[in-house]
Order: sequence, then C-alpha cells, then structure tokens
Amino acid sequence: MDAPHLSPEEIALWAEGLLPARRAIHLADCARCRETAERERRLFVALARVERLTPSREFADGVMATVNSPQGSGRTPES
Amino acid sequence: MFSLVYRMVRDRALAEDLAQETFVKVFNGLASYRREFKFSSWIFKIANNAAIDHLRRRELDTLSLDGPTDAPTRGNRTGQVRQLPHRGENPLEELEARELGGAIEQAIGRLRPEYRACILLRHVEGYPYEQIAEMLELPLGTVKTYIHRARNELRAYLGDAHP
Repeated sequence: MDAPHLSPEEIALWAEGLLPARRAIHLADCARCRETAERERRLFVALARVERLTPSREFADGVMATVNSPQGSGRTPES
Repeated sequence: MFSLVYRMVRDRALAEDLAQETFVKVFNGLASYRREFKFSSWIFKIANNAAIDHLRRRELDTLSLDGPTDAPTRGNRTGQVRQLPHRGENPLEELEARELGGAIEQAIGRLRPEYRACILLRHVEGYPYEQIAEMLELPLGTVKTYIHRARNELRAYLGDAHP
C-alpha cells in the first residue's frame, strides 16, 4: 500500500530538515507532496533571510537613564 | 526583542519607546519574576504585551475618528500595515523603508498581530513552539495553528499559494 501523503506538520518538519527519512522518502514518489514541500521550503528560506533588527546606539543609554531616574523605578510591571 | 516589537508596530522610534518601556518594567519587576518561566520568555511576554496594547489603542483611536465601532471593516483594521514612506523623506523613514520594505517584510506586516508575533518568534527568533506558547500565554495547539495559518497567508501574499 502507498504511504499516506505528508501532513502539513510533516511538510514543515521536512522544510526544517527534521523529517525522519522513512517519511521523507515519500517525496521521491509523490509529485503532489513534492510541490507542497518545495513551496514550504521557499517560504522557510525567505523567512530565514529576515534579519534581526537592532535599536539605535543611543537606546541603551536611554534605558539606563530612565531606570536610574526617580520616575523610572518603583512602577509595577505587568507579567 | 526590539526586532519583534519593531516588526509588530512598524515604526522604529515607537519600537524603541516600547522596548525601553519593556526594559524598565523588567527592571522594576524583577522581584515578581517567577523562576518556572524562562527569563527570555518573561521579557518577550512583556514586550509583546506592550506592542499589542499599542496596536489596540491605535485601533481604538482610528475607530473613534472613523465612526461607529460596528463598522464592517472593524476587524480588518487590527494590525493594519502602516504604509512605508517613499525614499526622499526623512532619514529615519528612509531607514524604515529599507528595513521593512522587502517583499517578505511587507507580507509579515500584513499578518494579524497574533499571527505576526508567532511567526516572528518561531522563524526570526528561533523559539520552540512550547516557549512561544508560554510567552504569548496561548495553548500550544493555538500557537501551532496560528503559525500554520500565518505561513499559508504569507505564501498567498508572496504569490506562492497552492494553485
């Protein structure tokens, strides 16, 4: 009997390189899953290129100035 | 953390204000930090709440200016993407356009805030699903669903949806 198609979770695992070989082998025989997996891989590659952005150089000084000011302390945080 | 907040509110100066507010809350709330949570989860949780609160306030401001709260487009306004400026405006706006102007960035900006937070925490910050659930105070299944739906929407926005 043919192996079942890959689930969305399995497709995502494959795009992350984490799908066990016994399931990944299904892609060799199934054009439908291969196409879906390739689309997922393209999206993962695009997302992997999204950079982590950093604040300006003055940011840390601003935080410390606020923390050290009388108004900057003693507030109740949300948690 | 700044990266998440910036992409949530899509305004660099505002993101710095909210990130600063987050750090001050963290500093002032150290005594209430519960050790069963990861410290990074706690910080991201406060940061995400600050961003979401801002987006909600902004939505309310928009609604109060635009008319009755039961207007048919109400739901669509949540997390609406701010139009990025064209080149030639001030340097900060040019920086924002450069940082958030790419196709994938625009697509992420079109996601509703809950989906956006999940996809950023998973794919940009690299957190596991379980920790994202902890940060956003959502059931694990909901986080997985949001990320799955977010990916589908991103593919559609990028013109790579299932035919």
